Amino acid sequence: MAKKPTVQPALHKVIMVGSGGVGKSALTLQFMYDEFVEDYEPTKADSYRKKILLDGEDVQIDILDTAGQEDYAAIRDNYFRSGEGFLCIFSITEDESFQATQEFREQILRVKNDENIPFLLVGNKSDLDERRKVPLQEATDRAKQWGVQYVETSAKTREHVDKVFYDLMREIRARKMEENKTNNGRGKDKNKKKKRCCCSRWLGCS
Amino acid sequence: MAPPPIVTGLSPKEGPPGTRLKIRGEHFGSKPSDLIGLTICGTDCLLSAEWKTSTKIEAISGPIKGTGEVIVTTRLGGVGTCNVTFRGYFLSSIGPLKESAVWVEEVSSWSRHSLSPSSFQHEDPLGLSIEENENKISEEDLQSNYPGKCGDIGSTNFSPGWFLLENHQATSFHDLDAGLVHLQRKVQGQKEGKLSFLKANMNSIMDQIDTLSNLREKYEKDLSEFGSEPTLKLEKTIKESEREARKLFDDVLARKDRAEKTRNALSVLSRFKFLFCLPCVIERHIKKAEYDIVINDYIRVKNLFHKTDVPIFREALKEIDKRIVNLQKKLHADLQTMPITVDQQKRLIRYLVNLEAPYDSAWDAIKSRSEYIHTKFRLIYDYYKSMERPESGKKVVTALKQSKLNDSQVDENVPPSCVSFTKEICATLSEIFPDLWKIGQAYFSGELQVKVGAGRQVEYKHMVLDVIESFCRYARATTVPHTLEKHHRPPSPSLAPPSRDDLAFYLPDLLRSVRSTYATLIKLDLPNEALDIVSHLLLDLRTNCMSILFQQTAEQIKQLNENWRISFAGKYTGISELPLKFLQLVEDVLQIVKESALSVELRESSLLDSPQAKKELEKQVDNILTGFYDVLDKLSSGEGFDDGDDNVPVVSQLIGSPMSTYKFVPSGQTCPSWEHRLLITLSNCLFARNTVMDAVASKFKETGFPSVESSIKSAKAKLRNLEKSILDKYLEQKSDPLVGTIEPSMYLGRFDWDVSTPPTDIRPYVKECINNLINVHAEVTNISSSLLDLVLPRIVETIAEELYRLMSCVQKFSKEGAQQARADVEALQEFFEDYSSENARAYFKEALEAVEGVQGSDRTMVDDILSRCRVRMRIQMLCLKKVDENS
Repeated sequence: MAKKPTVQPALHKVIMVGSGGVGKSALTLQFMYDEFVEDYEPTKADSYRKKILLDGEDVQIDILDTAGQEDYAAIRDNYFRSGEGFLCIFSITEDESFQATQEFREQILRVKNDENIPFLLVGNKSDLDERRKVPLQEATDRAKQWGVQYVETSAKTREHVDKVFYDLMREIRARKMEENKTNNGRGKDKNKKKKRCCCSRWLGCS
Repeated sequence: MAPPPIVTGLSPKEGPPGTRLKIRGEHFGSKPSDLIGLTICGTDCLLSAEWKTSTKIEAISGPIKGTGEVIVTTRLGGVGTCNVTFRGYFLSSIGPLKESAVWVEEVSSWSRHSLSPSSFQHEDPLGLSIEENENKISEEDLQSNYPGKCGDIGSTNFSPGWFLLENHQATSFHDLDAGLVHLQRKVQGQKEGKLSFLKANMNSIMDQIDTLSNLREKYEKDLSEFGSEPTLKLEKTIKESEREARKLFDDVLARKDRAEKTRNALSVLSRFKFLFCLPCVIERHIKKAEYDIVINDYIRVKNLFHKTDVPIFREALKEIDKRIVNLQKKLHADLQTMPITVDQQKRLIRYLVNLEAPYDSAWDAIKSRSEYIHTKFRLIYDYYKSMERPESGKKVVTALKQSKLNDSQVDENVPPSCVSFTKEICATLSEIFPDLWKIGQAYFSGELQVKVGAGRQVEYKHMVLDVIESFCRYARATTVPHTLEKHHRPPSPSLAPPSRDDLAFYLPDLLRSVRSTYATLIKLDLPNEALDIVSHLLLDLRTNCMSILFQQTAEQIKQLNENWRISFAGKYTGISELPLKFLQLVEDVLQIVKESALSVELRESSLLDSPQAKKELEKQVDNILTGFYDVLDKLSSGEGFDDGDDNVPVVSQLIGSPMSTYKFVPSGQTCPSWEHRLLITLSNCLFARNTVMDAVASKFKETGFPSVESSIKSAKAKLRNLEKSILDKYLEQKSDPLVGTIEPSMYLGRFDWDVSTPPTDIRPYVKECINNLINVHAEVTNISSSLLDLVLPRIVETIAEELYRLMSCVQKFSKEGAQQARADVEALQEFFEDYSSENARAYFKEALEAVEGVQGSDRTMVDDILSRCRVRMRIQMLCLKKVDENS
């Protein structure tokens, strides 16, 4: 099967971030394969990519599903660098996960060095409203403060699942077009490489 | 074919060898067995792959280093594609306590570090995080900078420069410094660690030593007990048990073998029985005509035995083959035995093909069919030939034929042999030929499952054309023999063509038969070439039919008899039935011609489009018209009328007394006198010219023939001439005697114009003359009053001329004589006034001038005589008065 050398559709790289167990993989799998995975299996780093139709245009979405667990926090930086848009997910049934979004937001801004990076705050598990711990108002306020959109989703019922991915992709696309306009001819602003020594613990001991 | 599989998701996307991978995507097949291939970064991982759903596969990564695609191959979808990549990496080294899914090369790595498990826990010996550096310095560059070295800490060729460039190219100096401190601490810790490790584990080390010496003791004990080779005994025991086990099953196995052998033998036997009985079976089935079964059996036996070398089998096969060859012969003979339906032939051909007969059976069938048609033609021909011979041979029949007019009914019932022959040959062709065509079509369309031989198309075409041509030849020979060229005639003497009348009677019928055959052929969708042959025949036949019909009519017209009965109906009085009969005949023949020859049927051109036919038509029309003219001419010429001569001398003072006008002819038919007949014919001529010819012309037009104007015109001219000659004849007949009597009557009794007796009355010759004219008048009126104007004026003219001649010849008139003469001439002048032409009047005037003038009282005397005469001969005068149509 000779593959025709066609123009590859635009590729939008999306990164799922959030604490462990908030449903990043569930959202991804629901979006990708329309399936809801009940059993919990911590993710390390999963990669998904498929062709979709975004407002009549063929695009490819590349989803990097990251690990929520703190154990893997060290490798996040690397991942974040390649991201073009972020879905910051917390569970509305778990306040800690909501608080953790602040940390994730900061890390992303630091790595990307960009205040306007495409970003959505997502409150997952909206089907479990009776166990809600994070008030809607609080989440909305935080989103407003960051200047991002807040959406509540349910990976189980697929409520707003497509919406968050598509909205994010639209933002990424708008962003890219804008960059193309202003960046024409200008050299790409290299991300400042900031090394963080993870062995400060050792240093501290000495 | 199913769409190729595509991998769209990997979980996780990287990992060391042995990582359990969830591979997600589409079209992974519908069942585990659909998955036939899986490579991760080019390494085949199918063995560890586990098909979960059509969108999910789980596998374990192999010894992979680097990034690559995950390719799934399915049975139906083939080799798939991949959207995502997997990155495999080795952990810096793998120790004995580390789980690994792959075989790790031990030599290089673990000897020195085996006892320092801590080194495995830290991925980086400097305690720094591993740099994910995209623009790493390539292996080659490093190799060239540090030849013979490597960056592996465990390697003996370790080069710190390499290591730093490889792993910490972008690390800041400060961090590296911290790393160095960390490393120093670690090394120091290790040095201390070894000794403290031993101290801490003294107990267990002592235990280990004890255990080792125990092991040794036990082993030595065993050695003394079982000898140096303890496995020998074990081997013996195993062999023993194997033997025992075999014993248990030997029996069963032997029985099974026997059963198998028996079964084989039985099947062989039944096969042999089949083989040896087959000749009989075949014969029986052949008798019952169950060829299908025979063919089945034959094919079976062929498959079973045809490679055998056993002589007896060969013998049996030979026997069977003999039967089969016989059967083939029989079938082949059947195939060619006519009559046979196409379906039967097809079936036989199929049998023959199945039997692999050495014949070209389909072609033979076609050939035999075509031959059959020819033979059939010949048979029919011969049959009618033989039927004909006695008929023409015996004189009785000939005699019968001569009196055909009386026996016409018999003739109708038994049509002449050539007519029935043609009809039958038509019927035969339309009956048999379609079969030939059908089987031919089946042959060439491959329906018969026979390979069409080269050149067969052409040959078949010739065959078809040949059949059709031969049909046409036969048909032509009997119906239109003159259109056949000499060498085309059938070899044997052709059937005697029937007389023209017969032909005319049967031709339309024959035409119909040929046409119906033609229609059958057209329906078969024959090639034009073949159809044209028949269409030519048809055209000739139609031309001939038309010509024969016209000829017959011409003949009938010639035979037309005048019965002299005058019909007084209609405008044309005084005509007999003759012209009407003629018209009737023409109309009839036109109708028949129109219905048969002229009508245009499917795939026929109009007959009259052919110039030949047109010429023929004109000729025949001329013939008919001429025939009619001849009839009239003959009638007027008076030939064959014996009473014509008798009448001539009868002319006397009283011509044509009513008694003598009709004579009885021997046949009992009343025949009018010669003069009457002349008059009737004349009247007929007039009628024919003025009415019948136009009617004929319009009839032709109406029937769809082309204009026959010129023929009609010439016929009319001829008729006009005929009229003239008839009129002359009649006048000759009438006026000659009439005029001739004047002179003798005038001088009857030695009369002299130089007399002295005063006249008292007009003289008898005048009266006689008047009476004679009245007589003619009566005769003409008797036939047709319209002829009066033609006849009388001319007679009057001759009378006047004669009178003038006589008067001018008189030598001397006495006074009385002159009176007499004047009275006579004036009386005649007066009586004939109505029928006097200019010439007649002039003659009368001259006659009067020839008579010497009469003056005074003499004149009165003449007037007296005339007035007296008028009174006395009033009836005669009225006779000769022209009747005013209006009064």
